[in-house]
Amino acid sequence: MRDKIIAIIADVLEVEASDLSEQSSPSSIESWDSLKHMNIILALEEEFDVELDDEEITDMNSIALIILILSEKLG
Amino acid sequence: MKNLKYREIIKKNRDLEPLVENNCYRIAILSNIVIHQAKDICEYALRDQGVGALVTLGEYDNIVQDSFKYTDKNAVVIFWELCNLVDGLQYKYRNFNSEAVDSLIEKVRQEIDLVLNNLSDISVVVFNKFSSLIFNDIQLHANQLDRICQQLNNHLEKHKNKNLYLVDINKIISRVSVDGATDMRYFLSSKALYTIDMYKEYFSRIAPIVLSNSGKTKKAIILDCDNTLWSGVLGETGFENIEMFEEIQQLAVSLASRGVIVCLCSKNNPEDVDEVLKHHSDMVLRDEHIIIKMVNWKNKASNIRAIADMLNIGLDSLVFVDDSDFEVSLIKNELPMVTTFKVPNKRHEYSRLIKYIEEVFYAPFETIEDKNKISIYKEQIKRQSAKEDSLSIEDYLRSLGLTIYVEINQVDHIARYSQMTQKTNQFNLTTKRYSERDIEIFMQSDNKSVISISVSDKFGDSGITGLCILEFSDSSAFIDTFLMSCRVLGRNIELKFIDVIVDFVRKSNISVLKSRYTKTLKNDQVSDLFEKLGFDLHSIDDKGKNYLLNVDNYFFKNIDYIEVCYER
Repeated sequence: MRDKIIAIIADVLEVEASDLSEQSSPSSIESWDSLKHMNIILALEEEFDVELDDEEITDMNSIALIILILSEKLG
Repeated sequence: MKNLKYREIIKKNRDLEPLVENNCYRIAILSNIVIHQAKDICEYALRDQGVGALVTLGEYDNIVQDSFKYTDKNAVVIFWELCNLVDGLQYKYRNFNSEAVDSLIEKVRQEIDLVLNNLSDISVVVFNKFSSLIFNDIQLHANQLDRICQQLNNHLEKHKNKNLYLVDINKIISRVSVDGATDMRYFLSSKALYTIDMYKEYFSRIAPIVLSNSGKTKKAIILDCDNTLWSGVLGETGFENIEMFEEIQQLAVSLASRGVIVCLCSKNNPEDVDEVLKHHSDMVLRDEHIIIKMVNWKNKASNIRAIADMLNIGLDSLVFVDDSDFEVSLIKNELPMVTTFKVPNKRHEYSRLIKYIEEVFYAPFETIEDKNKISIYKEQIKRQSAKEDSLSIEDYLRSLGLTIYVEINQVDHIARYSQMTQKTNQFNLTTKRYSERDIEIFMQSDNKSVISISVSDKFGDSGITGLCILEFSDSSAFIDTFLMSCRVLGRNIELKFIDVIVDFVRKSNISVLKSRYTKTLKNDQVSDLFEKLGFDLHSIDDKGKNYLLNVDNYFFKNIDYIEVCYER
């Protein structure tokens, strides 16, 4: 699942998956602004068929946290 | 696109970027809500159909300001949401008194007028009608929100700009469902109202407007017979027992009346199908609606190629409908440029497909030529058989009794002229696409002349089939546009037409006529036309060639078997 999440984020941000790591976040990736963040969440929700609430979305400010919160959500 | 996820769309869209370099179609989307996901989805919906769309998103809630800025675009799309006319209008309306309502309506009306005026020279402006559907939970009676919405829409409908396409967005929202089309989480946090599903539906629905504006109109529909026009296999079930699919037949007849070429391509005995067309009492589609019948046992790919050749149109302007997985995948593989639809196995799903096919043939305007097209194409096929019988090409052309009628700056034909610049791909020297508004501006300007010809012969009148736009400067004239419809080619009409143009330039006391050939994927057949017509090659660049002609040295072709008339 980790790799799938990174691949999706890479597609949305239009960067190579190899340029991303679990430490990547809006502050380390130039193209990751608040609008792109919304696009990432929408793409992840569609891909994993979940709906995230506001709090979860706000907390997801690094790839590591995205993986953590999605894993919990999906059980 | 429907089955693609957002992420896949982003990726595929990026893969199609080379299209933009070759043939960029610039679109701006203006809005008073956040529509960030619209960019990739809009671009992909169009790039997938061969248009090199490049979308710029306006600033949030800056529709008026942006309308001053984006006057260089090919198209502008406007999302002007009722709920955000005033922050929180969707709940504040309850306590608005009539004065507040009136002043809000007046303010927005003025803004609409300003925006549409700023965008009046853009070829296409797509404007979503105001909608109170999303935020209105009171279904029993109209409320203040409905009234604001209604009045603004009434105002919009008063605008008669030819470039304005009003979209009934309620129909699109209903298709997706209100809950499926909107995301209140993001509306609350970021003013982003619509979902990915909504954008997918929306841009597939409005794509035909842009496609028809960028010369990508579909021109012909090719229908299979068994299990496509009727239920059952004619050769097995028999004449008596086949059951008509009336809806697809009704659509075909209506398309034919709008100028779409209807053809059949069926593996059957031709006499059997003719018998049904002539004598089956339940048939709606008849011989008179059909231009070409390929009823034989040959490979359908070669039949479809033959249809494109006979009609002299590109494979990418054909739509093919068949119920057989085999035939559909054969055409998808062999002729991927043809748009192919498979008739669903479940009969109740056919209706949805038929509506979709109808949208593919969306055309914003209808001209007299469209209505006459069936007879025009039938005449063309007749001419082709006459061609085979006659001895020499000269004899044949002489036997046709050709006349061309010349008209200059004829405002009655603006729609047709614009349509010709949009649709003509092969015999088109510069392939510049012009809207009706563009043509209107040319006719009003002192330094441009729009010259057209109609062609008639003993078989009938082909209507307006040649167009030339001349641009004059002090000492020279330039052929900005020179195009002819494929259906009059092969008759040396172009030679006569250029005689007319040179004569016109000479009578305007201009001695130098410049011209240009701009290469596209489709106009190779005219790559050396100007050389043949006696123009001197002046320079070559990577996109084409420039020519000069000293009008006084021009050698008039004076073809004696084509008569020229300046009056009907």
